[in-house]
Amino acid sequence: MPAVRNIRLCTKDCMCLYVCPTGATDTENSIIDVSKCIKGCRKCVDACPSGAISLLPDEYPPQQSKSENVVNALRTLAKSKVEQESLATDIAKLSDDAVTRQFAEAIAKSNRLMAEDLIRESGYMLPQSDEVRSLLESMTQNPPKNFPVEKVETLLKQLNSIHKASSK
Amino acid sequence: MRKFKCSICGYTYDEAAGLPEKGIAPGTRWEDIPQDFVCPLCGALRTVFEELKETSPIPAHTSQEDEHFESLRELTPGELSALCSNLAKGCEKQHLTEAMDLFYQLADYYKSKVAAHSSQNFEDIAEVLKYDLSESYSKANTVAAEKADRGALRALVWSEKVSRMGNSLLERYAKEGNTLLENTKLYVCEICGFIYLGNDLPEICPVCKVPNYKISQIGRR
Repeated sequence: MPAVRNIRLCTKDCMCLYVCPTGATDTENSIIDVSKCIKGCRKCVDACPSGAISLLPDEYPPQQSKSENVVNALRTLAKSKVEQESLATDIAKLSDDAVTRQFAEAIAKSNRLMAEDLIRESGYMLPQSDEVRSLLESMTQNPPKNFPVEKVETLLKQLNSIHKASSK
Repeated sequence: MRKFKCSICGYTYDEAAGLPEKGIAPGTRWEDIPQDFVCPLCGALRTVFEELKETSPIPAHTSQEDEHFESLRELTPGELSALCSNLAKGCEKQHLTEAMDLFYQLADYYKSKVAAHSSQNFEDIAEVLKYDLSESYSKANTVAAEKADRGALRALVWSEKVSRMGNSLLERYAKEGNTLLENTKLYVCEICGFIYLGNDLPEICPVCKVPNYKISQIGRR
């Protein structure tokens, strides 16, 4: 459970520097040095007067199971949103008018965000979940030409190693 | 005296109170408000306002077809792209930078597989959106309510509100064209996708209630 800092909340009180036994908090950005951080120590979390530091969980419960009817209903909407996104993206690409492009880009972005949220709630919330894992595995089966299989394999390894580290 | 509620953000117009800061005197009836009135909070058209009834009867949804077996539909490249870009955000929140980059690259791959469209107008978007609003949301809400799926219901509430707002913007754009955006800024909420047209952002997003530093301006290029 490494500590992380929310730089937006940090008020530079530096209490984390005073209490850290290893100097892991001596960084300017939000990333506390994971290699030095004593996992689960939480001295900096308790000392920070601004509540800017928290511990990242290293174990997650399984996702809530989803009914297939709910998943399909969410997918229907997500599909419609990505269609609207792509229509708007095409308008933005081909228009020579800056205001038209601006409006189309806002619509494209809005629809992408809605699609992401709907798909996420259809059972793909957590990158380390079994659902995501089996989706990634299915991508490596008979992939189309030019599909970046190696990227998916790297992801499977990385997300897996996080899972294993936590179960120790 | 009656009350009318904005179906996008929940702002309520009370006839008894009026809206003096916009020149609408207390006691002004809904019918007598100027036609170009927009929601003072989120900018939605007056057509999305609904009268607040003291006791609104809840329509009894009894779906006969529920247990009818529906097999899972395959995800399209567009959906896979959104799925991957969302997982990238999930990795970012866990400070998994490398995994975030990989998911974004996969999202780009799938996005490049989405077929291009021949038509170039906003009416086509409006048409697809109208179907969402007239059919897909009520169906999805019924299914999610039957399964008491809170996460799904939450996502549906947000995106239905954002969609109504988008619909009212597209209607205005169809009438006014680019003059709609002439002297105003345009923003999109990074969390729920709410589109805000105006110069002064509300403190929090009217749909998902996130603080407004999560609402980004869309510039003109």
